Amino acid sequence: MIAASAGVLPLDGGLVEPALSAPLSTHADVADRAFVKRGSGEIQPVLALADISLSFGGVAALRDIDLEVAQGEIRAVIGPNGAGKSSLLNVISGLYRPDRGRVRLGEHSFAHVPTARLAQHGVVRTFQNLAVFKGLSVRDNVLMGLAHRVRAGFLRQIAGTPLARRIDTENRAAAEDVIGFLHLREVRDRAAGTLPYGLLKRVELARALVARPSLLLLDEPFAGVSLGEKRELAAHVRNARDLYGATIVLIEHDIGVVMGLSDRVAVLDYGRKIADGTPDQVRSDQAVVDAYLGVAHADETELAL
Amino acid sequence: MFDYQFLIEVLVGGLLSGVMYSLVAIGFVVIYKTSGVLNFAQGAMLLFAALTFVSLVERGVAFPLALLATLAIMVALGVGVERAVLRPLVNQPPITLFMATLGLSYVIEGAAQLLWGTQVHGLDIGISDVPLDIAGVFISQFDLFAAAVAGSLVTLFALFFRITRTGLSFRAVADDPFAALAVGLRLQRVWAIVWTVAGIVAFVAGLLWGARLGVQFSLSLVVLKALPVLVLGGFDSIAGAIVGGLLIGAIEKLAEVYVGPLVGGGIEAWAAYVVALAFLLVRPSGLFGQKLVERA
Amino acid sequence: MDTIASTSHRTGPVAESILVGVAAVIAFGVIPLAGSDYLMDAVLTPFLALALAAVGLNVLTGYAGQVSLGSAAFFAVGAYAAYNLHLRVPELPLLLDLVLAGFVAAAIGIVFGLPSLRLRGFYPAVSTLAAQFFVQWALTKFGWFSNDNPSGVIDAPALSFAGYSFTSAAGRYLFSLAVVTVATILTLRLLQSQTGRNFIAVRDHEIAAKVIGVPLLQTKLLAFGVSSFLIGVAGVLWAFAYLRTVEPAGFNLDRSFQILFIIIIGGLASLRGAFLGAAFIVVFPLMLSRLGAALLGGVFDSGVLEMSQRIVIGALIIAFLITEPRGLIALWDRFRAAIGRRTGRPRQDISYN
Repeated sequence: MIAASAGVLPLDGGLVEPALSAPLSTHADVADRAFVKRGSGEIQPVLALADISLSFGGVAALRDIDLEVAQGEIRAVIGPNGAGKSSLLNVISGLYRPDRGRVRLGEHSFAHVPTARLAQHGVVRTFQNLAVFKGLSVRDNVLMGLAHRVRAGFLRQIAGTPLARRIDTENRAAAEDVIGFLHLREVRDRAAGTLPYGLLKRVELARALVARPSLLLLDEPFAGVSLGEKRELAAHVRNARDLYGATIVLIEHDIGVVMGLSDRVAVLDYGRKIADGTPDQVRSDQAVVDAYLGVAHADETELAL
Repeated sequence: MFDYQFLIEVLVGGLLSGVMYSLVAIGFVVIYKTSGVLNFAQGAMLLFAALTFVSLVERGVAFPLALLATLAIMVALGVGVERAVLRPLVNQPPITLFMATLGLSYVIEGAAQLLWGTQVHGLDIGISDVPLDIAGVFISQFDLFAAAVAGSLVTLFALFFRITRTGLSFRAVADDPFAALAVGLRLQRVWAIVWTVAGIVAFVAGLLWGARLGVQFSLSLVVLKALPVLVLGGFDSIAGAIVGGLLIGAIEKLAEVYVGPLVGGGIEAWAAYVVALAFLLVRPSGLFGQKLVERA
Repeated sequence: MDTIASTSHRTGPVAESILVGVAAVIAFGVIPLAGSDYLMDAVLTPFLALALAAVGLNVLTGYAGQVSLGSAAFFAVGAYAAYNLHLRVPELPLLLDLVLAGFVAAAIGIVFGLPSLRLRGFYPAVSTLAAQFFVQWALTKFGWFSNDNPSGVIDAPALSFAGYSFTSAAGRYLFSLAVVTVATILTLRLLQSQTGRNFIAVRDHEIAAKVIGVPLLQTKLLAFGVSSFLIGVAGVLWAFAYLRTVEPAGFNLDRSFQILFIIIIGGLASLRGAFLGAAFIVVFPLMLSRLGAALLGGVFDSGVLEMSQRIVIGALIIAFLITEPRGLIALWDRFRAAIGRRTGRPRQDISYN
């Protein structure tokens, strides 16, 4: 993990050995990832939703959603506001419990994903309205992404025992690595609360990547940033997959960015999945055009990636 | 042999003093509903109003005139608080606003006593405290009167919120301050009015409490009685404040009479808190509070 | 919010350690020799106890974001626990009594912190208020806690450690100073560790912290435990080194507010702020009474003093929350930065705070 500074990472795309992080991973973690890779011939999906339904007080937010995400792909879920995208992400990260259906993360299947153990399963997420810790410096924000790996109790941390110090050194090295990768070096000592929005999006991405997740969930990563920043962020997202080996699920209503960036796109409308396929397939799908693209064509031309 | 008549007497006494708690709690709810501020200074406002009124009367001001003057002062206080405290702190986290109201309560308490002195004042609002004998159960006339006042105040509020334009705009602000702003409601004006209303509620509660306990510093501590009521009833529900107040009043008296002797008495200081917190573990949003949806 | 790491970063480690060294020499060496008994007895010892309590409350409120209105309860638990440990297990050295009293306070703190796990927002404030009333009631009600004193009053034993006794004003001051120094350093280390980052993460964005894998239950309870431990130890100093005779009424709600006001005025989430705020709270009434007496003479009696004190403190709270939520410590840092610029030493900007 420490050795894997951005400079020496192999550039062979999504096939970066996930076991790079083995020395710091828990046993379950290692087993998870190994299993994902194994499966001779048929590739085990990193994430699979089966028959997910969710309603709030009688109003259906999600209806019978199936979704599979393969290792190493960038998978977009798009749809108009209120289509259920955020609910979907909240189900995957366990903030909502679906009424029906199961969520499969690697080899584990859940009726209700345990949010507190998400990070141990190699899953991280970002938030639409930015969830950086404003009172912490950029570096400390990134270090928070490794919080689940600090196994030394607080007394050991006070005393600075060898174990606590070793973990600390390793984590700091990993954080420096990601900070460099996302060009955050100049601001790493600044309190996050003092930074502009676009930069904070990157800080949040860095916090997500530092743990080298096997699955990265991005909640409207391009919302509220300028066109230039969008292009830059999109490049970072692609690099996150290519260099860090993360499988990526992103939800977005800005179709333009998504079509250029994603391998496969699922479209939600009124809580139902109305289309699923490559960007080209989705673009030419009549149901999608009717439900969504027709009104959002302006967006599409906004950014040609 | 268990004395049921005594039980009923204790229960009714508790419910009636609970009405007084409700009265204080309503002042909190009105402010919380519209501005999301838990106003710790409500007790200080209550003390300030009662002390001002009593001192004016003692200085020979006629009863109705003193009433009007105190009302005017409470209006000025409400507007002043909006100007000096709330407006500069708009968009701050609720905890910051809460701490600001702690500071505010110190200022108001200090000012009230610096202005009018620290001695205890008797307050006679002309209601005798002779118990009525209703079917063998003794009930304080004063408590009944207080209950009637609280009841009519609540009815008045309910009508105000449902019928008048201002009342409707309050509800709009409570539901969504940003949307309310967008459609042109002036948040600052609404807040100033809300604090004024809370000031008037504090005045009424202050008169009733003052008549019972004497007008003195400890009057501001009734704020501490209202907190468990709010926890139980939900911070944003007037109905909750009423039912919560009644429940807390009854529980407190029952606990004091039936549990108190087992542990040496004096448990009314914390019994309400323990009950309210225990209840919360079962129902986090209180009896009538809006369910908190965890937003990611 | 102030992160501790910023201090050394801003001034450079060398300048900072020189400053700390000079302060230590003055505090441990010069003051006990040259200071008057009044200074140590009536100003510095209560200052130290309140500063430590404020450090403790800051862990909970400033760093972990849970408002507490019950600090005085944990203050009292510390004092009465140490008293009873000394009384009933006389074999234990006093220093051990002090630490164990801290643990007793921590245990009580964790119990009253439990509701905050299910509930956010104002509920910790309410449950700590419950602690406030419950503890004060229990100490008055049950004679056992005060060795059957009718009004719950306890007389603290003389301070002693390793055969030395610390009964003089200077001795009690030094004892307090040593305890506060050690406790503060340990707290500082905790806050700089991952646990400290977890506290702030839970405060700033609880859901994000949970998703990342911060154990919320453990983190919040730890904040309650550490905070109450420190406040409990401070309570021992308050009772044993400062007042020496205490009653439950001395640990009332006003004391809780006083400690909360120290951290608001001094600076939330700043240990230096806790000390600055405590200094202010101790010195301010003394200044105000001198000033009042000089300006108004006889009119300015103790009642007027108390009321004007309330008004000024309350107004200061509001003023700080509006104009400088980071408190006195932010003013102090800005002042030092200005001095630094005038003397031409290059300094980092204070943006990181």
